This record gives sequence, structure tokens and C-alpha cells, in this order.
Amino acid sequence: MQSPRRPFTRRHLLQLSGLSGAGLLLNACGAPLYSDQVNQAFEPLNQRVEKIILKPQSLVPEYSASAVNPEALLINSIDGTPEIDPTTFQLIIDGAVNRPMQLSLADLQSMPLTSMIIRHVCVEGWAAIVQWGGIRLQDLAALVQPKPEARYVYFQSADGYYESWDLPSALHPQTLMAYQKNGAPLPAENGAPLRLASPIKLGYKQSKWVTRISFTADLMDRQGYWVDKGYEWFAGL
Amino acid sequence: MSSPASPSDPIKRPKKAPSAPKQALFAKIFHWINLISLLLMLTSGLQIYNANPVFGGRAGWHFPAFVTLGGWLAGGRHWHFAAMWLFAMNLLIYGIYIFITRRWKRRYASSSDVQVLQTGTNQKRRNYAWHRVVYTAIMPVLVLAIASGLAMYKPAQFHWLSGLFINWQILRTVHFITVPIVVLFTLIHSLLALKVGQFRLVKSMFT
Repeated sequence: MQSPRRPFTRRHLLQLSGLSGAGLLLNACGAPLYSDQVNQAFEPLNQRVEKIILKPQSLVPEYSASAVNPEALLINSIDGTPEIDPTTFQLIIDGAVNRPMQLSLADLQSMPLTSMIIRHVCVEGWAAIVQWGGIRLQDLAALVQPKPEARYVYFQSADGYYESWDLPSALHPQTLMAYQKNGAPLPAENGAPLRLASPIKLGYKQSKWVTRISFTADLMDRQGYWVDKGYEWFAGL
Repeated sequence: MSSPASPSDPIKRPKKAPSAPKQALFAKIFHWINLISLLLMLTSGLQIYNANPVFGGRAGWHFPAFVTLGGWLAGGRHWHFAAMWLFAMNLLIYGIYIFITRRWKRRYASSSDVQVLQTGTNQKRRNYAWHRVVYTAIMPVLVLAIASGLAMYKPAQFHWLSGLFINWQILRTVHFITVPIVVLFTLIHSLLALKVGQFRLVKSMFT
């Protein structure tokens, strides 16, 4: 059908397009393939959108107690489960605050208890409906009185884990320092005596075994254990 | 409307050989960006899938590395949440385009196509009806891919959207199912295009 004079036939075009398509796929081959550059280009945009859609003081709808599925909540940890004596445990709250504090577990448990049944979403793709009970971080903030320049909150954990949050998310009414899970005292592997729990951030933002909360004006170089390895910082839901 | 026959062409072409169909620039751009962005979305999506397979969890079957993009979960997510803009904005702009030009009335499946498929005997017309029905049907699937993806990406801020999918496993399954549908569609759509307008129709959409 083709004239012999035409050097570039549709068969050639088909072959070429097939080859280039295969090449693109082969290049992808499980390689990072510029994912860091792609992240640098798009993460600012995604983060801006996340900050816009965050409703800092409105409650995320909760679930009924029958929706709780304890077996779905998997255990992730960077270095096993640290041993913490709840009787000597002290939570330090410091940084850009007017009244730095140290609180024992008894001090914390004498504060108003907030209970919520929310969906805990892990970056890996699984999710679990969990009941958490604890103190609102905004109640703790009201105690220590963050200074006007405070814009971020750092969480230091007993196992060396660390995370940082934007202040609006930290002050969300469903961001808790939790010491109860599914109606029982928080198990050690879930972060006892005290952990972060919130429906508005991915699981890796919700530090377990929190020992120190610091309000800061700026983000430091170390933004979070997984964030520093390449995961997104805001990680809003 | 006849094609310019080469004088040296030894084969005598029929007098009224149809010329290559002309495609709207918007339709061409849409096809290119859709193809590229879907390839990125699918491969990075399978990378994310592998972190915790929808079917069977951590113990479930994983996709081989050569169909994944990003190298690890964070890399897959970076690609996925970048290419999503390309994919979604392309679809949105194209949607606005077919709406204001009323292309959706002329170029998409209508009741006459359904009628042809039910009672028509002209094979060419039937092929064309199938072609239109198939590419019309993929549109809601592409929208579903975005809706289910958004419901998983921001389940707290878009809880009303996540709620439509009943539970997390159904949501994940629906989002994942769009992958084999899109792959299958690409195959069938290409074959039907070849059947309806031979290679020159396919070429006209991409050049």
C-alpha cells in the first residue's frame, strides 16, 4: 500500500511510538526518577492547598463506637517500644511560651478529658477507626500561653522520634495528647503514657511516647523523622 | 475533500478516498496530556499500592518494580500528588471546552448510537457507535478516579466525599479498580479507533 519513496511509513511510526513508550516505562523501573525534584516543584503548591482547606477550629465528624475496628490499627515504630515509668513521667512544655511547664501524668489526667472516635490514616494506605481519649493540645497551650511569634510545635519522643506541626493544626480541637485507646489505658506499643492523636494528620505525624512539646517561631532543619527522609511535612488529611 | 494522490503512486486510489480527519487542537492536547499524566498516575499509584496492598495488606501480592514509579513510597507519593494536577486540570479544562462548544452533544454517545447498537445492520455505523459509547463511558471513570483519590488524600476535609464510599476498604478498592479499567479502555479505545478510521484516525489525534 505504501509508496516505496516514502521513507517514514506508518509502520515505522507505530514501531517508534511503541519503542518510546516502552522506554519510558523501562526508565520508570522502580527508580526514584526525579521524585525529589518533582516534590520540590509541587510540594509548595500542595502545602498551600492543604493550608487553605484546613478548617482549624471545626470538628471532623466522628464515628459511632460500633465502627471501631481495633485489629485494623497496625503498630509502627522506629526502634521497638521504649520503657517509660508512668509514675516518674514528666511532660515538658517549653519554647516560645510565657509559662514553660513540667506536668506529671497525674497533672495531665486531672485536666478535662476529651474523647473522640476518628479515622486514623497511615501513609502506607491502611486506616483504622479508633477511640482516643486525652487532653486537647489547645488546652495545654492555654496553660503555657504561646508567645505571638510561635508558629510551629515540636514533639520529642522517648525513642528518639521527632515531629513538627503547624500551629493551626496543633490547636485543632481534635488534636489530643492521648492516654486512652478504645476505652482502655493507652497500651505501651501504641505510645503510652502519652501520644499525639488527630484526625487531620497522617499517622507518622502522630508521635508516640511524647516527652517534650516545644513551641517555636521557625521550622528547624530537623522537621520530622520521616519528613527528613523524604515524606511531606504538612501531611494534612 | 480528496487526498492529494502522489503522481508516482503505482496504486490507483479510489476517487473519493477520505482525507485524514482534522481534529480540534483542544482534543489533541487533551489526548497527549491525558496519556502522559495517566501513565504517571498509574505507575506512581502502583508504587503507593505496594506499601500496603489493597488486597491482602502487607502480606498481599505486590506489583513488580518495573511497573512502579518513584522507587519507594515517598517517591511514589511525590509523583502521584504532582501528576494529579496535570491529570485533573487537563480533564477539567477539557470538560469546560466540550461543554461550551457543545462538543459533548455532537461527539459523545447519544440515543442514536444506542439505537444503532440495538437494531442497526450497517457494520461501519455499528463500529462507530461502539467507539462513541466506549469513549463516552470512560469519562465518568476518570471523574471517579479523581473523586475517590481526593476522598483518600483528604478524608477529613472532604469527609462528605469519603462518606459516599461507605468504608476505607471500599474507597481504596474503587480507586484501585480505575487502574485496570483505564488500561483496558486504552486498549479497546485504540482498537476501535483503528477499526473506525484506520491508523490515520489515530495519527490525526496525536499529530
